[in-house]
Amino acid sequence: MPDALERYDVLRTAADAEYAAWRNPERPRIDVALDQSSITNGALKTRDALERIARERNAVVDFGRVHGYGMQWVHPTVQITFPDGATVLYGPVREADAAAIIDEATGRWGAAAALRLGTITGERPGVPSIREHPFFALEPERRLLKNIGLTDPESLNHYIAQGGYRASARIFGRHLSEEIVRNTLNDAGLTGRGGANFPAGTKWGFLFGAPGTEHYLVCNADEGDPGAWVNRVVMEGDPHLLLEGMLIGAYGTKSTAGFIYLRDEYPLSIARMEAAIRDAEQAGLLGDDILGTGMSFHLRVIRGAGAYVCGDETGLLASISDERGMPRVKPPFPAARGALNKPSNVNNVETFANVPLIATHGSEWYREMGTKAQSGTKIFSFSGDIVRTGFMEVPFGVSLAKVLEACGGIEGGRALHAIQPGGPLGSLVPASALDKLILEPASFLPYDAMLGGGGIVFGSDRNNVLVLAEMFAEFVEEESCGRCTTCHGGNQRKTEIIRRVMEGDGRRDDEPNLMLIDKTIQFSNCAHGQLSPKSMRNVLQHFHAEYEAAMRGEDATLSLKGATRFRVAQPRDPRVEEAVAICPVAAFRGTPGARTIDEATCIHCQACTDVAPGAVVREAKPRAPRMVPIG
Amino acid sequence: MPLETEARAQIRALVAEFRPEHGDLLAAMHKVQHHLGYLSREAMEVIADQLNLFAAEVYGAASFYEEFRFAPPAQTNIRWCSGPACRLKNGGGIRDALLATLGVSEIPADTEDGRVGVILGQCNGTCEIAPMVWLEQHSTHRIEPVGSLNAARAIRMARALRDGSTVEASIEEARRA
Repeated sequence: MPDALERYDVLRTAADAEYAAWRNPERPRIDVALDQSSITNGALKTRDALERIARERNAVVDFGRVHGYGMQWVHPTVQITFPDGATVLYGPVREADAAAIIDEATGRWGAAAALRLGTITGERPGVPSIREHPFFALEPERRLLKNIGLTDPESLNHYIAQGGYRASARIFGRHLSEEIVRNTLNDAGLTGRGGANFPAGTKWGFLFGAPGTEHYLVCNADEGDPGAWVNRVVMEGDPHLLLEGMLIGAYGTKSTAGFIYLRDEYPLSIARMEAAIRDAEQAGLLGDDILGTGMSFHLRVIRGAGAYVCGDETGLLASISDERGMPRVKPPFPAARGALNKPSNVNNVETFANVPLIATHGSEWYREMGTKAQSGTKIFSFSGDIVRTGFMEVPFGVSLAKVLEACGGIEGGRALHAIQPGGPLGSLVPASALDKLILEPASFLPYDAMLGGGGIVFGSDRNNVLVLAEMFAEFVEEESCGRCTTCHGGNQRKTEIIRRVMEGDGRRDDEPNLMLIDKTIQFSNCAHGQLSPKSMRNVLQHFHAEYEAAMRGEDATLSLKGATRFRVAQPRDPRVEEAVAICPVAAFRGTPGARTIDEATCIHCQACTDVAPGAVVREAKPRAPRMVPIG
Repeated sequence: MPLETEARAQIRALVAEFRPEHGDLLAAMHKVQHHLGYLSREAMEVIADQLNLFAAEVYGAASFYEEFRFAPPAQTNIRWCSGPACRLKNGGGIRDALLATLGVSEIPADTEDGRVGVILGQCNGTCEIAPMVWLEQHSTHRIEPVGSLNAARAIRMARALRDGSTVEASIEEARRA
């Protein structure tokens, strides 16, 4: 009977042949990037146009699929792989650009020169390597993202051809000690990537030591922090990396079944993970009797249904177990009582995705990247008022100022105002901290802030910091499960106060009340409640002058309702009538040529300044110095 | 045991594959809502039977999640993205403009004729086109992202939908400069 590694080698040989043909195709191949972001930007329309033109011209070209390379601001992108193996990245490629791409691929080199972004592999005269693009200046080496752009994410064979599933085959086949597997992770310094940062190997040990034979390994793929799409990139870009990480996790925790709890906002991730599970099962890499070793691991995707608090592990486990997804008090910890009341362990997608890499290359290799305090690399997603929105994988410890530079800086010639890491339970850090921050959890602590799961939003001085504070207040209030009065009641009061301040009706007592609410909410049972007051606390800590100004009805950013008004500045400008027509609340008064805006009716939606900028203006509301009421 | 109606039999067939104590409740509710548009009382009773739960437990779970509905959805829903990148680009003004245009006061809500609804959307990391919404057509399950909005574009789009335009024509309104 062949052992696991021999069986693996058989799979590998077939995969290598298939991948070699894909890598050096006989005919040029056009790979359209298909991921959530690309599709949102019209990638399917681009693909249809490319295929239609290729058909019409009988072009000697094939089509394939990749995941976007990280540069989301130029989506949709396509890649052309030429028979010599060189791959060139193009974007943004709209339907109208399809003919140029077909020409470029089929011998009229230069037809799509204006769309070239760089080479992904190989060389083409006059085309720089994509690695030289400033967006990737901070990526010395891709590890978690190593297959992005170089494989079809829906192909098991491509993953195998890149060495995938070899680490798990070796561990299973040689019956490596589970303890060694876990210790390797701890030696590497792998900690929970969801933000909690607990050593992964140690956490696995809890479940390994749990009684009974029914252990559940659970993947938290409920990436609910708005502004974070790190896990999505792993699941849509390299789904088998997550599966193999879980497979090794099953070994290290003695689990025979597992769940991937995946938010419903990621339909393509759900589809790709489900397909990857089916493919791995068919190849004998998952399911019963894995690679003939007698070991089993059954995996299922559970679709979430729009509840942020299910990102808390006890909420997630309740949700899997047919209950309301409400977090509960620990202990009992998941290793004692988890999914379906059985011993369980929950890890984040990216935590699992690191495991095959460490199992393949060792802990020393892993520690080559990152800092002493936090080893390895991490995927981050960057968004907000920046020129380049996208994702990249950087070693822990890179400077945030350099990150902002890589992202092209703040758009529209404005200045950075607030940095928002870690989602709604994360923080609001002032622009003045930029030069002192590095991407490492400890760096954020002096600001009473947290780095979190990998989403970082940069806000410009176009908005008052209270705009983000109110958004997160509303979010944590809405997503409170309702179990703790501190959390659901406290967050309601907090939101009300913030809104009142924004509307120019702040009171002296608001600040002490916000601080009292903060201290009270911290007595909630789960992390949702405990961390929910953080962003507002940060406003009072780091943006106090701005808060005080809002109390007086002043706002330098002209973004608060209470401090601004809309006014017709040029009544004879013909666009004013367009503004009148677009206003959804009929706030304009008077006759053409003599329009005014009724402040009591206006809802500050900005539609009028959208259609008649300059003719209608938003300006500081003139007001007498305001006596701030105490009560 | 309630009478076996045709509707009940249809739901029973939909959920026949699901098992008790197997973590199937979410999947069962998703499947029924996908096919019927919402979770009726009858549907929740049938799901409860199938999974060996009380109907109240099914309702308790269903009502916990943002996605499940207990009444038929609007023909087209505008799913408004509540994420931070959108908010920094006047997402709040776009929400208020949408609500005012449709004559409703908060999210979620439908117009009186059931033609258009506004529902809460969550960030899915396509922030390069912020601010955005998604248009979801109930009858076809079609979802169209509409990005790079401003309040004026959002109002034109919502007016078109409200007045009976197709999803395509409404998106055209949103794209018009």
